[in-house]
Amino acid sequence: MTKERIPLRPIDTTPPLRNLDRICDMESGRLSGKVFWDDEIYQQELEKIFARCWLFVAHESQLPNAGDYLTTSMGEDEVLVVRQKDRSIRVMLNACPHRGNKVCFSEAGNARGFICNYHGWSFGADGGRLMGMHESKCYEESGFDKSQHGLRQARVDSYKGLVFATFSDEAPSLEEYLGPMTWYLDVVLDMDGEGSEFFGGCIRSTIECNWKVAAENFVGDILHGGWTHDSAARAMLGSAVANVSDMPESYSVNWNGHGYEFGTDVVGNAATLGEKNINKYLHTIRPRVAEHLGEFRSKLIGAISSATIFPNFSYLPGQNTVRIWQPRGPHKIELYTWTIVNKSAPEEIKDMWRKGCMMTFSPTGVFEMDDGENWEYCTKTSRGLVTRYQDLYVGLGMHTRIDDSELPGNVFRGQINECNSRAFYQRWKDLLEAPTWADVPDRNGRMR
Amino acid sequence: MAACADGGGDVMAESNLMQGNERMAVLDERARKAEAFLLREARLLDDERWDDWLAILSPDIHYWMPGIENRRREDRLGTYSEKHMAYFDDRLRDIERRVARFRQPSAWAENPPTRNVHLISNIEVFEGECSGELLVYSCFMNLRSRGLDEQHQLVGRRVDVLRWEDGRLRLLRRKVLIPNAMLLCKNINTFL
Ligand code: FES
Ligand SMILES: [Fe+2]
Repeated sequence: MTKERIPLRPIDTTPPLRNLDRICDMESGRLSGKVFWDDEIYQQELEKIFARCWLFVAHESQLPNAGDYLTTSMGEDEVLVVRQKDRSIRVMLNACPHRGNKVCFSEAGNARGFICNYHGWSFGADGGRLMGMHESKCYEESGFDKSQHGLRQARVDSYKGLVFATFSDEAPSLEEYLGPMTWYLDVVLDMDGEGSEFFGGCIRSTIECNWKVAAENFVGDILHGGWTHDSAARAMLGSAVANVSDMPESYSVNWNGHGYEFGTDVVGNAATLGEKNINKYLHTIRPRVAEHLGEFRSKLIGAISSATIFPNFSYLPGQNTVRIWQPRGPHKIELYTWTIVNKSAPEEIKDMWRKGCMMTFSPTGVFEMDDGENWEYCTKTSRGLVTRYQDLYVGLGMHTRIDDSELPGNVFRGQINECNSRAFYQRWKDLLEAPTWADVPDRNGRMR
Repeated sequence: MAACADGGGDVMAESNLMQGNERMAVLDERARKAEAFLLREARLLDDERWDDWLAILSPDIHYWMPGIENRRREDRLGTYSEKHMAYFDDRLRDIERRVARFRQPSAWAENPPTRNVHLISNIEVFEGECSGELLVYSCFMNLRSRGLDEQHQLVGRRVDVLRWEDGRLRLLRRKVLIPNAMLLCKNINTFL
């Protein structure tokens, strides 16, 4: 096993697109619909963003036992995520190194290994090495060396249950990649020191929109909440959404294109589920959260808020939906959603969240229905050539940075603010322009 | 039989029936009534007659459409379960909330309206678990159109329990199964 492997073929790099400034100028908060439409840009995103960034692949709770696996994708690359005997998690391409056939066709399960349907190449649970195949003696006769072949492995790391992977050797560590966002992630991942888990499996749907439209909506667009979701709020709460701008204390924070906008109202998001017991639960555990995470973060556990970890992993505290926007060409995404709950929560509370999540943020969810419609048409109007060059305004909240905030990250005043969107698109552009990771500029402390 | 008193019973139990352990077929007048019930229901949904539709639901309704999982045959977890996330896992309160959204003038994505056709077929009627109940299988095809070029099609099977309440048939339980493990559209902005 220790024998030197022939190095994997490097991924070809293509020269960065020029003139991105003309369609994405975050200094002045200007964008153009071209970024949602062009296939040329999309191909660059696959190479310079999805093949380079840390991407969410699983929550550890989905793979409790050795041999547990699930299939997902990293960008458009299909991958297998497998729990190993030594408890580590491996992520590998779900594509056979013989002729490229898909190796595992089920979305999840338990297996000792994987055998390709085409010519029977078989791999152990670690995927790294070819174990055998149909008509193996013919290979032996031609001096074939099995140890040179395996499923291409990704780098894997995790933060409090969230497993991320990258196919880039150059990428910074996950810790560095996430930076101070982990402090905010703790609000959903680690409320009481007992951790979190995914509950009830995955629901998948397809939206005909560009992946960035969705990711940006969660990175920092609460502005749309009161307007887009008026009908859902009235249906669930019996009244309109409160004006978010009237809330006394709220912030937007970003770092390296990740972003989180939040109020400090404890249960504003959770309340939309229309289950009194969920609010009661959050109020009950809040003192414990305050002990564990401090008073400030205990006010965020179900507050009006949303977040995206760049590029395409998003969640809503309170509604407890966690999702990934899988890019499928410039004009389409596959949306995978899960419900996240505290491990320590009573079973009936977890179940209420499972149902509440589906009732609000799922393909049948009363909130999501209005989102999908907006996102599809933000994308589709760009089909028009003239429209594609129309200036889109992303300038709300310029000059609202709080320079002396004690909170981690780049902190801005108010959650109705497009600073996170600007940081998201700036990071997008920086990555598209950077030939290597080392060329990606550090904008922290300098974004407006 | 305690389950029958409150109209409970086990929705999952009906899946046994789907494997061929069939109950007594109902071929009398009641079968015609059950069929008429389903066809009228489809028309009420297509015409957005929400009040009339709500009126044919039992106050004890459980309306369930589980998410479908793409697992191997030997995997004992199967393709769906009560614990899995569901498109609908609704009691009357939840259904009324969905209808309340459809009715808001601010349901932006419903204006201009989505135009629906619900086709119902393969209707089979059997004696229910409890007296006064019918077990009804059917298939549906739902076609939705929005704007000029949006068209989404969903096809599936349903297992319903209809119950006579005050002399009228009411929908007590519904299980909706679609073959898709991933929806090929953005939402389900209708009932199936
Ligand atoms: S493609 Fe997998 S064994 Fe040939
Ligand atoms: Fe939204």
